[in-house]
Amino acid sequence: MADRAAQLKKIGEISFTLDDLRLFLDTHPLDTDAMNLYQQNLTQRKQLLKQYADDFEPLTTDCICLDTNGGSGACTKYPGQKHWTWNDGPIPWDLAANECATVKGGA
Amino acid sequence: MWNYEKRLQFPVHITKPCPKTASLIISQFGGPDGEMAASMRYLSQRYTMPCREVGGLLTDIGTEELAHLEMICAIIYQLTKNITAEQAKVNGFDVYYIDHTSALWPTAAAGIPFNACEFQSKGDAITDLTEDLAAEQKARTTYDNLVRVIEDPEVLAPLKFLRQREIVHFQRFGEALEKIKDNLDAKNFYYFNPEFDKQFVK
Repeated sequence: MADRAAQLKKIGEISFTLDDLRLFLDTHPLDTDAMNLYQQNLTQRKQLLKQYADDFEPLTTDCICLDTNGGSGACTKYPGQKHWTWNDGPIPWDLAANECATVKGGA
Repeated sequence: MWNYEKRLQFPVHITKPCPKTASLIISQFGGPDGEMAASMRYLSQRYTMPCREVGGLLTDIGTEELAHLEMICAIIYQLTKNITAEQAKVNGFDVYYIDHTSALWPTAAAGIPFNACEFQSKGDAITDLTEDLAAEQKARTTYDNLVRVIEDPEVLAPLKFLRQREIVHFQRFGEALEKIKDNLDAKNFYYFNPEFDKQFVK
């Protein structure tokens, strides 16, 4: 089974890279290196978010796909049933959604 | 328009409840230099900011502050989850518990409720960006104080992350202030208000 915490850790790291680069680019809009890094990380983030939605549940509303959401690892009250998946998954502020804090090593 | 993403910006994983620690950290939710004041400050100031890029920066930092607000609330939530009445009686948390049980309510550690007077939106780019620089340093000092008195490494990890973000935001606001000055008269930056006396802006 896909590892929820490991995937979430990668998504967190890539997304943070983008958060930091976004502010840098706001004040350095012509920095080519930063732009290239942003583009690479953005492509990777989109892939990771799609993978996470396929294996578990959507993290963003753009990842909601009612036909493919809810893989083997989905955390849902309605397993195997077509349903509204946006509220699936652990609550973001609960321990269960933050097990990635205990995953060792970088992405 | 905002979109929600169902994860914290940095994970919060606290396995040992401690209402006393929660009663200190709550200042970064609703206190004078907390994340709510930070977000509201930047998101209010941006409308009249004369430089397009600086307005964009205020939107992006104001948005990140909302994610920090959520992290602070997650820390308090986990520190006070499933506590007993006996545990709630700890000095500092007891008075909060009486009015709010284990719910989240924006207040300073000393009990002063969140108030818009904790930030300014002055309508002068130099004034507002100087306030923003000070705000990031005040928040950094608050995190320094928290890190000094808290020992649980699970609580310290997200606090240290948030402290680092204050330093990055300070840097970006410094660059934003320079951008504003580039469009002003270098002989006297204070000759007019760039947000109001628009006829003078280069």
